[in-house]
Amino acid sequence: MQIPFRKSCIAVVATLVSGAFGTSALGANPDRDAYFGETHVHTSWSLDAWLLGNRMTGPADAYKYFKGEPIKHPAGYDVKIVTPLDWAGVTDHSEYVGVIKYANDPTSALSKVPAAQPLKIDPNKPLSEEGIRIFNYVAKVLFGGPPVKSLMDPKIAGTVWKETIAAAQAANEPGKFTAFCSYEWTSMPNNMNMHRNIFFKECHKVPEAPFSALDSSFPEDLWNWMDAERKKGNELLAISHNANISDGRMYPTEVDLRGRPIDAAWAESRMRNERLVEIHQIKGTSETHPLMSPNDEFASFEIMQFLIGDPPGRTPHLVGSFARQALKDGVAMQGSKGFNPYKFGFGAAADSHNTAVAYRQENWFGAHALTDATPEIRMSGKIAAGMDPRNLYPAGLTGVWAEENTRASLFEGMQRKETFAVSGPHIKVRLFGGWEYTPEILKDAAWVKTGYAKGVPMGGDLPVAKAKAPTFVVWAVKDPTSGNLDRIQIVKGWSKNGQSFERVFDVVWAGDRKPDKWTGVVPPIGNTVDIEKATYTNSIGAVELKQVWTDPEFDPSLDAFYYARVLEIPTPRWTTIQAKQLGIAPPDVVPPTIQERAWSSPIWYTPTAEARKTAKPNGMTVSDLKKQGGVALNDAQLRALIVGKSTWLQNNVTGDKYEVIYGDSGPGTKVATPSEPGFNTQKFAPNQGQIWLRFLGRNTMLPSLVGNPVEASKLGVTSAYFINNGKIVNPMSGSPIEITVYKVGDKYLAARGNEFGYANYEIIPAVAELNPLNLGGAKKAAVK
Amino acid sequence: MRHLIREPLVQFLLVGLVLFGAWQLAKPAHAARDASNRIVITEDDLKQMAVGWAAQGLPPPSPQQMKELIDARVREEVLYREALALGLDKDDAIVRRQLARKMEFVAEDLSKLEEPKPEELRAWYEKSRARFALPPRVTFRHVYFSPDRRGANTRTDAVAALTQLSGKPIDASVGVGDTFMFQSFYGDRSMEVLAKEFGPAFARALVDVAPGAWAGPVESGYGWHLVFIDSMTPQQIPEFDAIEQEVRNAWVEEHREKTRASMYESMRARYEVVLPGS
Repeated sequence: MQIPFRKSCIAVVATLVSGAFGTSALGANPDRDAYFGETHVHTSWSLDAWLLGNRMTGPADAYKYFKGEPIKHPAGYDVKIVTPLDWAGVTDHSEYVGVIKYANDPTSALSKVPAAQPLKIDPNKPLSEEGIRIFNYVAKVLFGGPPVKSLMDPKIAGTVWKETIAAAQAANEPGKFTAFCSYEWTSMPNNMNMHRNIFFKECHKVPEAPFSALDSSFPEDLWNWMDAERKKGNELLAISHNANISDGRMYPTEVDLRGRPIDAAWAESRMRNERLVEIHQIKGTSETHPLMSPNDEFASFEIMQFLIGDPPGRTPHLVGSFARQALKDGVAMQGSKGFNPYKFGFGAAADSHNTAVAYRQENWFGAHALTDATPEIRMSGKIAAGMDPRNLYPAGLTGVWAEENTRASLFEGMQRKETFAVSGPHIKVRLFGGWEYTPEILKDAAWVKTGYAKGVPMGGDLPVAKAKAPTFVVWAVKDPTSGNLDRIQIVKGWSKNGQSFERVFDVVWAGDRKPDKWTGVVPPIGNTVDIEKATYTNSIGAVELKQVWTDPEFDPSLDAFYYARVLEIPTPRWTTIQAKQLGIAPPDVVPPTIQERAWSSPIWYTPTAEARKTAKPNGMTVSDLKKQGGVALNDAQLRALIVGKSTWLQNNVTGDKYEVIYGDSGPGTKVATPSEPGFNTQKFAPNQGQIWLRFLGRNTMLPSLVGNPVEASKLGVTSAYFINNGKIVNPMSGSPIEITVYKVGDKYLAARGNEFGYANYEIIPAVAELNPLNLGGAKKAAVK
Repeated sequence: MRHLIREPLVQFLLVGLVLFGAWQLAKPAHAARDASNRIVITEDDLKQMAVGWAAQGLPPPSPQQMKELIDARVREEVLYREALALGLDKDDAIVRRQLARKMEFVAEDLSKLEEPKPEELRAWYEKSRARFALPPRVTFRHVYFSPDRRGANTRTDAVAALTQLSGKPIDASVGVGDTFMFQSFYGDRSMEVLAKEFGPAFARALVDVAPGAWAGPVESGYGWHLVFIDSMTPQQIPEFDAIEQEVRNAWVEEHREKTRASMYESMRARYEVVLPGS
C-alpha cells in the first residue's frame, strides 16, 4: 500500500515542480523558460529561393524540419536538424510571391506580361547560371527599382499568403511548438538592405495581403501600416536584419531615406514597431565592427561586407550599419535631444533560402539552394550574387524568455525585448539589472524569482536609482551538444555631451585565469582545436557561468546601456571541417576557428531630470557657444589655423589630450623639389592632406567613429582630410565625419558632426609631459 | 547593327517575322470556318473576367474595357490554337515539365477522391502500428557532478557516490553531488524533450537504466549524473480510437504516394525505352 501512495505523492510533486519550472506543456512558468526559434527562413515560395533552385519545399516542410523531421535539400539529399526548435515563423518575401513560378508556367496569364520575360528560365542553359542571372535581375530591377505593376497579381499574392497562414496554423501546437504567421518586407533601394521581417501575434487577424516593399520601400510607411493594423487589433512587430549590408542606411542619425530629419515622432514610430534587430545570420554579424570597437578583441566576428546583387563600383559604408553604434547613438540622442530611436532588443536568425537551416558548423549544407549545395562548390569560392560562399555562416537563432510555448507568450516576450541572440548553439543566457541585488543572490535556488522581483530582465529599463551604481546578475549555460563556455562579458555603452563610448568588461570566466591587474582584461582561454583533424575537446571552459557585477564607473547623470555577451571556447569553423573532408588547406579568407556566442538584449539606464542636472559641465553646445559670440571659421581661416601645423587638442569630455598634425594639403604655390617636405604630397589633388594623431594610449577614452587612432598613433598611420564648406572632413571608411571650428574670444573650440550639437574639443597649449607621475595617487590612476 | 540585334524588341520582331512566314507556308488546311474553329465565350466566362478585373482593385470595367478583355481572351485562344497546330508545344522544355507536373497533380486529385472505409482504415492501422508509436517517457531524479567544480575527477566522484547511494532510498541523495542549474526531478518527460535538454546521448542511455534504484554514472552535455528512474513508460502505441484522425491523415498521405506511383507504373508499362547501344 505504501508504494502506490508514494507514487501518487511523486506524481503530485511532479505536477507542482513542472508547474514551477516546467519546460513542457504542463503549464505556464512564471520564472520563464528559454525558447529557441527561427525568425527568418525562405522556402521555394520566395522568388529568389525558387530561382536559386529551391523548387520542392514550402512552409509546411520548413515546420516539419524545425520539429526534427528530415526533409529534402533542394539538391535532393536529406537534411535533419541537430536540435529541434521550439518555435519558428517562415518569412517568405512578400514581393512578387509566386511570380517566377507563374512566369515559367506558360498557361498562366502572367507568363505573357512583357515584364515577366526576363524571369523565364532558358532551358538550354545550366539552371544554376540562369538562376543567378534572374536573381541579379530581381535584386536590381524588382527589389531595387520602382514596383512593376504588371507583375503584381493580387490573386497570386493573396493565394500564396493564405497558404502560408494555413501552413502556420497546421504546424502550431501550443505548448509543444509555436508557428507564427510572418513574412519579409524586402525593401532594397539601390541594393541597400532595409529588410524587415514582420511577425503577427495571432494568425486569425492577419490582413488579406501583407504590406510589401512594392507598396512602399520606405520603413516609415511600413510603420504607418503597422500602426493602422495595431489599431484594428492586429498586434505585430518588425525585426530588421542585415544592417551590416544596408550601406549605412539602417541606423541613420540625421535624416531618413526621404531626407526628413530624424525627430522624436520618427523615434517613437520606429520603437513602437521595431522591437528587435537580427544581429547575426548567415550573411554576417551586425553587432559591431573592429573599426568601431577597436578595444573589443572579440569584435571581428563573422564580418561580411558586400551589397546584395553585387552592384559594380560600390564600396560599403560601415557607419550606420552596426547595432552597437546605433545603441550608442541612441543614448547620445536621448541625452542631447530627448529621444532614442534605437532602443531595440537582439535576436539572430538564418535567412536560409533552402527551407532547412544548418545552424551548426558540423552540418553546414549551404543556404542558397544549388549555388552552394556541395562542399566542392562552397569551398571553391564560386561567387554568387557578390557572395563568396566561404564567408557564409551556418545561421543563428533567437531565444525568448517566456512563460510558455505559445504564440501569445512568445510574442509578448519579443515585445518586451526579453530576447537573446545565439550564433547557432542553444546557449542560454539570463541578465537582470537592478539596485538591490546582493552578491549572495546566486547562492539561492530561487534566484530567478529574486531577479524578477528586485529588478528588470534583459530588454528592460532600470528603475529609478536606489543605490550608487546598478548591479547586474548574469548567468549562462552551454548547449549540451556544443563547446564549453569561455567567459561572459558586459558590454557597456554610455554618452556624455553628445559623445558616446563603450567598454567591454570581462565579468566571469572559466578556469583560474587572472585578469590583468590594470586593465581587468582576462587572457584568452587557450585553444584545443586540431586544425588538421578539425576537432576540439571540451577539456577547457565551463558548463555554467554566473556572476553578480556592479558597474565600477557608473555616473548617474549619464545615459547608458548594458548587454551581456557569452563566448564559447574556440571550435573549428565549418570551412576548416569541410577543408579536412576535401583534403585541402583551410581557406585563407576566414579564420580556421571561431568562438560561438550569445548576446543578451540590453538593459537601459535613463537619468531622471534631476540626475541630469548633477552632470559636471565640461562641454558646451554649439548654440551656447554662439550665444557667447562664437563664430565658425571659413575655409581660409581653417587652412591658416591647421594646415601644415602641429596642434594640441583636448577632448573636454574625457580630459584626454593629444597632438593632431594636419600635413600639407595638395600642391603648393610653387613646385617642390625632392629635398622639400611637400615633394610627395604635391602630387595629391588640391585640398587633400594627411592627418596623424599622436600620443594616444590604450587608456585613451575613444569617442565614437574615430577608428583606431591609438594603433595609428604608434604605427605612424595617417588618414586623409579635406577642408570644405567651412568644415574639416575626415572620411571614416567612406563616411565623412565633419568638424566645425569656432573662435570664441581667444579660444578655438571644435564640434564633430556625429556628436549631436556639442563642441567638445579645444585647442590647448602643447603638452610637455604625457604621464606626470603622482606616486601618492598611484592607486587612483590604476583604476583608470 | 550587332547592337540592334541584341535589343529584345528587335529580337522579338525577328522571331515574329519568321513565325509569320512559317505560318503562311504551313497554313493549316482547316483554316476555313468550321465548327472546330469556333471560339465560344459564355456568360460565365464574362463573369469570370469581370471578377478577375475587380480582384485587381480596379473600378468595374467600362463596356470598352470589357470589349478589350474579350479581345484579349480571343486573341490568346486564337494564338494558342494556332501554336498548337504548328506544333510549337513540342520540344519546349517548360511546356513538357509543366504538363508532366500536371499529370502528377491529376494523380493527386484522383487519390483525394478516395476515402478509406472504416474497416479498411482500422486494418491499415493494425498493419502499420509501428509508425504511430509514441517515444518512451520517463520520470526520474538525478544527482549532478559538475566538471566546473570537479574537473578530471568528475566521473570518479560520481562512481564513488554511487557506492554510497546504492541500496539506499531515494532521499539518501540529499547533499550528494552538486547543484544542477535546471531541475533535479523530471516528471513524465518524453525522450525527445530530454534529448533537447541534456543532449541526445543522455536520453539514449536513460532507456537502458533499470527503474527503482540509483544507477550510473550517465554522461550528459553538462557532466556526469547518477540517476534514479521512478517510472519508465515504454514506447507506446495509442489505440486506434484515440488517434483516428491522425491515422486517416497518414493513410491519405500514403495513398497519394501510392496512387502517384501506380499511375506512373501503369503508364510506364505502355512504353518501351530504347537506350543507345542496346
